[in-house]
Amino acid sequence: MASDLSPPSETVTVIVDGKEHRFAKGMNLLEACQSVGAKIPFFCYHPGLSSPAVCRQCLVEIKGAPKPVPSCYTTVADKMEVTTNSPKVLDIRRQMLEFTLLGHPVDCPICDKAGECSLQRHYFDWDGKLARNEGVKIRKAKVVDIGKHIVLDQERCILCTRCIRVCDEIAKSPDLTMAHRGAHQVLTTAPGQRLDNPYSLNTVDVCPVGALTAKDFRFARRAWELDAIPSICPGCATGCNIEVHSSRGKIYRLVPRENPAVNKFWMCDEGRFEYKAVHENRLLFPAIGGRRSKFDAAVAEAARLLRLALVKDAGSVGVAFSFAATNEDTHALVRLVNEGLKVERVYAAGKAAGWSDDILVSADKNPNRAGVEHMVSLPLRNLKDLASDLASGAVSALVLLGSESAALAFDKLSALVVLGSHKGPAGAAAHVVLPVCTWAEVDGTFTNKNGRVQRIHAALPAPGEARPAWQVVAALASRLGADLAFTSAEQVFAEAARHHAFLKGADWGPRALPVQLRFGESRG
Amino acid sequence: MADALPFSLGGNRRVVLGEVEVSDFDGDLPTEVMPLHMGPSHPAMHGTVRIALEVEGEKVKTADVQIGYLHRCFEKEAENATWTQIFPYTDRLNYVSPMLNNVGYALAVEKLLGIEDQVPERAQYIRVIVGEISRITDHLTCIAAGAMELAAFTVFFWLIKGREWLWELLEEVSGARLTHSYVRIGGVVADLPEGFSAKLREVLGKVRLAIADADKLLTRNKIFRDRMDGVGVIAKADAGAWGLTGPVARSTGLAYDVRKDHPYLVYDRFDFDVPVGSTGDNFDRYAVRLEEMAQSMRILEQALAEIPAGPVIVDDPRVALPQKHETYNTIEAMIAHFKLIMDGLHVPAGEVYSFTEGGNGELGFYIVSDGTGRPWKCRVRPPCFANLAILTKVLPGLFIADVVPTFGMINMIGGECDR
Repeated sequence: MASDLSPPSETVTVIVDGKEHRFAKGMNLLEACQSVGAKIPFFCYHPGLSSPAVCRQCLVEIKGAPKPVPSCYTTVADKMEVTTNSPKVLDIRRQMLEFTLLGHPVDCPICDKAGECSLQRHYFDWDGKLARNEGVKIRKAKVVDIGKHIVLDQERCILCTRCIRVCDEIAKSPDLTMAHRGAHQVLTTAPGQRLDNPYSLNTVDVCPVGALTAKDFRFARRAWELDAIPSICPGCATGCNIEVHSSRGKIYRLVPRENPAVNKFWMCDEGRFEYKAVHENRLLFPAIGGRRSKFDAAVAEAARLLRLALVKDAGSVGVAFSFAATNEDTHALVRLVNEGLKVERVYAAGKAAGWSDDILVSADKNPNRAGVEHMVSLPLRNLKDLASDLASGAVSALVLLGSESAALAFDKLSALVVLGSHKGPAGAAAHVVLPVCTWAEVDGTFTNKNGRVQRIHAALPAPGEARPAWQVVAALASRLGADLAFTSAEQVFAEAARHHAFLKGADWGPRALPVQLRFGESRG
Repeated sequence: MADALPFSLGGNRRVVLGEVEVSDFDGDLPTEVMPLHMGPSHPAMHGTVRIALEVEGEKVKTADVQIGYLHRCFEKEAENATWTQIFPYTDRLNYVSPMLNNVGYALAVEKLLGIEDQVPERAQYIRVIVGEISRITDHLTCIAAGAMELAAFTVFFWLIKGREWLWELLEEVSGARLTHSYVRIGGVVADLPEGFSAKLREVLGKVRLAIADADKLLTRNKIFRDRMDGVGVIAKADAGAWGLTGPVARSTGLAYDVRKDHPYLVYDRFDFDVPVGSTGDNFDRYAVRLEEMAQSMRILEQALAEIPAGPVIVDDPRVALPQKHETYNTIEAMIAHFKLIMDGLHVPAGEVYSFTEGGNGELGFYIVSDGTGRPWKCRVRPPCFANLAILTKVLPGLFIADVVPTFGMINMIGGECDR
């Protein structure tokens, strides 16, 4: 914001509702008033976008000004006297809401936004009067397929233009525009164009009403049935802050969570679909030689195979780290390598690099490459090395964390222990399979590409018999003579923080409890 | 019986089976203190409570009243329900007078909302009417069950029949015989049904006769008086010190009635008396309840005569649900309906204590709101919690048999006491 640019010493004195306050020079008046507790509703203003002042909800009275001014479009000035709750201001708000509601369809029961809708909230908070007209509405297009992920309902649109600005200013792809005039004005794309930029779903987040809805979430779940847990997007090395919205053990959507230092208010479309994999194709039960077994028996068998391999040729026993695993899982595995197996052959597997841009998307599609590279002091070999070592027989036994590796020549191995979350070639070839949790089911931390350590929270219970990987590693280590004795991810983190400089100053933080969106008042 | 073995009863007396040595010693038989649990499920205890007694022969030495058998997490549940969804829970507090709980809770929320003055007059009269009917059913239950436990089963039938007539009326009003959930924040859910006044007057006449019959059977009945008079005496000073309210406090001579001392609704417009007892024994509690029913009927007749026409709930879509045809046809009413149902009405942050005269005394609601659609805390002051506590002091010294009428006249209602 503008206030960040001015030196803090330059302040102005503003009287808000009779009370004197000091604000940084150049600060937006709406933000200034909000920061001292004055309640001002708005539709078109968004802290991450420019202000067009089209919705006229945030009008306030300023002494000396001939008429009320939009606070989102005004900067604070010295000796300014602002009134945010005078009868006149309240009346204008109510009248603007009545005006906005004139054309709004009676859609709440079938609208995805109901329950987290700004229009509903502002009506309830600032209007609260019944209709004075006969309810004759101007009909517009109801189901417009405007993009790969998005459906537009022109009747519900209140013409705030937030989505247009998201495309213009954030995605740098001016796909949306307004057409026609007055009560017939509609949001649309240019003829023949589609809303298909990589950040298109942010328009759904910023839409104050249900005009833009995500095809993925459409009619999937009512907003008020969702529980929100803060987490980190596992889609790439940027580490966008997100909220996981789930209900009864199933994730329904991922939405961005504000963090000015990482992703501001946004995330890419690709990241939003990261949750799908959490529910698909999971390894649910431990298995020995492809047959389901008890967890302890599988761990014992894994240890037995590894001991045999160590006796035969310790130099050919390898461990594969995962760039998708948390810092805690990685730390536990480092200790298994150093204290349990005492081997030096370590690999790291991860998702292949992909496309990137200079907005949010990183080419590295792994959420914790930085963390793994910081923690493992032995020379890390990559997947290509692993493939050639497998072919040459240089590696005879392998502990493999993660499910990212493609089909390799695993059949030559005398022992393949897979700590995986998903079914795949490695799991199919494994002598012992130990199911582990995904990012959505564990507490832990990821380190993004800039070295920022960020906390993830368990949003779901573990499926089947899957356990957090650090727990499985600890169980395996204890059978190989190393006592890891971890009882919680927090404990692993605390120990890791003592060992690794990059975790210095990182804080585990309090445990986040799920927020019921029904009572959260957090959205809309 | 030559080979019958002598055994000791304690002390220095010898008793031989078959030929009891009769002592001329007129004191109590020496015995050991025996623990005796009355309840939690006892045929003579009309409430789920356990009184752990220590008895010495027939005499109660100590009494430990153990409650909680009907704990339903009312207060915790309330924190997870919208303001309106709590009404059905309040039905289950004092479940023989649910309307009084409905009204008490609604008044507390209205006080926090600051809309007490906006509740239409007709709604206030309706609340008085259904409340006083509930007070009568409450007292009828207490007297009927109390008499039954002293073997006066006829009285039970007669009075419970009267209660049933009244509940039938409330069923007509609310749709449910017992769990009415009839009151809403801002008023009541619907107007009284057609012909209600005439029906109520008729029923009151019949109930009056039933009460008169019970009065004839009990009030001058030697057996009943012997069990009630001078038993379970509570001193007036104790009534204040232990926080007793309602008929139990009034039986001691403490003339405290919220309706008179802190009038709410339209109670200040009615002419009625607050009966008080003089000795604070079980009979006084019985007599106070008998008279209070007569006073409630006085209030009812005045209310029926004075009740004005008009709306029965506030005209504010942010508090009361809009009419259905509005909801289905206009976006404003639709949003209001949606927000009221899904989010709950918005009660400003703050705290409030509001109290009314329930069936058993001062029914208080202490509510804290954090500004959302559900209470942050909803504490109930159940009158019979305090009333019951004093049994610990009253019971010692009484006979075991006296526990029954004393407990009965306290009129502990598990749903309200344990919440």
